[in-house]
Amino acid sequence: MLLAWLMCYVGFTALCLSTDRHHGELLRSKPSPRRRLGLRAVGGGALTLSIWPAVAASGWAQGLVEWCAVLMLSALLLVLLLPYWPRLALSLAGVGLLAGPVAAFATL
Amino acid sequence: MDGTHMKEGFRQAMAWLHTWAGLIFGWLLFAIFLTGTLSYFKDEISHWTQPEVQARPLDDGRSLAVAQAYLQQQAPTAARWIITLPNSRDPGLSVMWQDKVDPGKRGNFIQKVLDPVSGQAVQARESMGGEFFYRFHFQLQMPYPWGRWLSTFAAMVMLVALITGIITHKKIFKDFFTFRPRKGQRSWLDGHNAVGVLVLPFHLMITYSSLVIFMSMVMPAPIVASYGNDSRAFFNEVFPATDNAPALGQPGTLLPLLPMYEQARAQWAGGHVGRLVVNNPSDANASVNVVRAGADRVVHDFGSTVSFNGSTGERLRVSAEQSLPAAIGGSFYGLHMGRFAGPVLRWLYFICGLAGTAMIGTGLVIWLGKRQLKHAKTGGMPFELRLVEVLNIASMSGLLIAIAAFFWANRLLPVSFAQRADWEVQMFFIAWGLSLLHAMLRRGRQAWVEQLSVGALLFGAIPALNALTTSHHLGVSLATGDWAMAGFDLTCLGSGGFLAWAAWKMHHRTAPQPKAERARALTLKPEAH
Repeated sequence: MLLAWLMCYVGFTALCLSTDRHHGELLRSKPSPRRRLGLRAVGGGALTLSIWPAVAASGWAQGLVEWCAVLMLSALLLVLLLPYWPRLALSLAGVGLLAGPVAAFATL
Repeated sequence: MDGTHMKEGFRQAMAWLHTWAGLIFGWLLFAIFLTGTLSYFKDEISHWTQPEVQARPLDDGRSLAVAQAYLQQQAPTAARWIITLPNSRDPGLSVMWQDKVDPGKRGNFIQKVLDPVSGQAVQARESMGGEFFYRFHFQLQMPYPWGRWLSTFAAMVMLVALITGIITHKKIFKDFFTFRPRKGQRSWLDGHNAVGVLVLPFHLMITYSSLVIFMSMVMPAPIVASYGNDSRAFFNEVFPATDNAPALGQPGTLLPLLPMYEQARAQWAGGHVGRLVVNNPSDANASVNVVRAGADRVVHDFGSTVSFNGSTGERLRVSAEQSLPAAIGGSFYGLHMGRFAGPVLRWLYFICGLAGTAMIGTGLVIWLGKRQLKHAKTGGMPFELRLVEVLNIASMSGLLIAIAAFFWANRLLPVSFAQRADWEVQMFFIAWGLSLLHAMLRRGRQAWVEQLSVGALLFGAIPALNALTTSHHLGVSLATGDWAMAGFDLTCLGSGGFLAWAAWKMHHRTAPQPKAERARALTLKPEAH
């Protein structure tokens, strides 16, 4: 479940940064159209692909339920972190990017 | 009328529905959601409320032998035994038996909880434990069937409120990641939208599945249409009845249950056994139904059973695979109850439930806050707004106090107190009633601060209360790995901390909003709530 959670969190963070408002708040600049597109692709891709580790670890029935749970709650966590600890919110995504491959090796 | 007008008219109608359905049923739905959320830890709560039932290392073989020996001694001639095995959430080995019955009459059930190691009946204090919150969340402590009807109706209103909410709060998907704290009304609305939209799949699932679960009660028409007046046939199909052979009247000897248990598990490819039902245990025609644990699979199967002849050990019957309608019904049931969830997923379920509760609570606060702004200058408050305020306080902070009061009563009422289980429930309602009275007597903000503080104290002190009244304090439960007991104490501590924070926030809220802020808040109107 950890890997799916990391991927969901990274995915939502990328989607969040692809909006002008949040990119401005977090990185103090407007994203270029190319970057916006790239972030969207990364975000959508990570969210879609995160189904796979969940299902691989627990089977379709349980895996899909777990995936839905981490999908919802990773977004909730991000949204609650953003206004209070924006740096932590971003660094968590960074940690997710780094730890993702490790978690993938460990679980799959 | 052009298209934009029609669209706006539609949206306004939806907003109106969302506002008023949400208000009228909000208080009830808040209670249903919060107690339902607690029910995800039903077994853990029951374990805490009956500390005499100690957690032992799990060993089904030993448990079965102990239960069989106990029943053989206490109830050899019973019509039926039911043995429910301990699991990691519920440590008690429960045995139940039914006296010999006259034809056409149901015998009484007697239930005991055994210690799975010593085989002695445990003298546990009487308490409904987690079962109380579970029952309350759909029966509302009302006589059958009124409570179920009311909660089903509330679920329908919830579904309406969810759908109208998606239409009304049109910006939720655009503002998906937006939460702006410390901005008064704006923050409440952001919070309402965030917990609403981010956890929307859960809200829809839980609401819709509750309707499916109640379907047979609220909408018997489809059943009547396909099965005629024989609704028995429908239930036989959904819950395959265990039609075992009748007693022969000749004495027989029951074989050990463990081999049958093992055969059943092999049949389910290692699936777990929930309980065993032994019919006519002393008869030559004894039968043993081994029923699969509900925690095994997401799709709940009500009748997954392997039956044996009790005196020969011969396998009689394996229940058929679920039919498609049963599997669909079972998957909604399974998803709603979350019995299959392990510790992590169970906590995620719990958080989702809290998010639903928070969505309802913030909605109620927004309704009042918006209307209060108009009366901020004069300081007065019309009766209907005061009524909503009192009900908001009593239904939210009052309910939290009532829940804590239930747990306090569990520890403080003497173990031998007559009807103590009923008294625990009474304390719940007395505390709730008192908080309503308190909310009526005190001004809004003070009432909030005081009730949240009382709630914080009551919850925060529960680990201490547990340490003073039992020998299962955190030092012991953490050391022995009794996670249900320790988790309960720690969760209460956390809840106490959260309520203290909420009370502090409420106390230090910037009292009068600056003018510019107030003007801006008033212009928020187009996005109705």
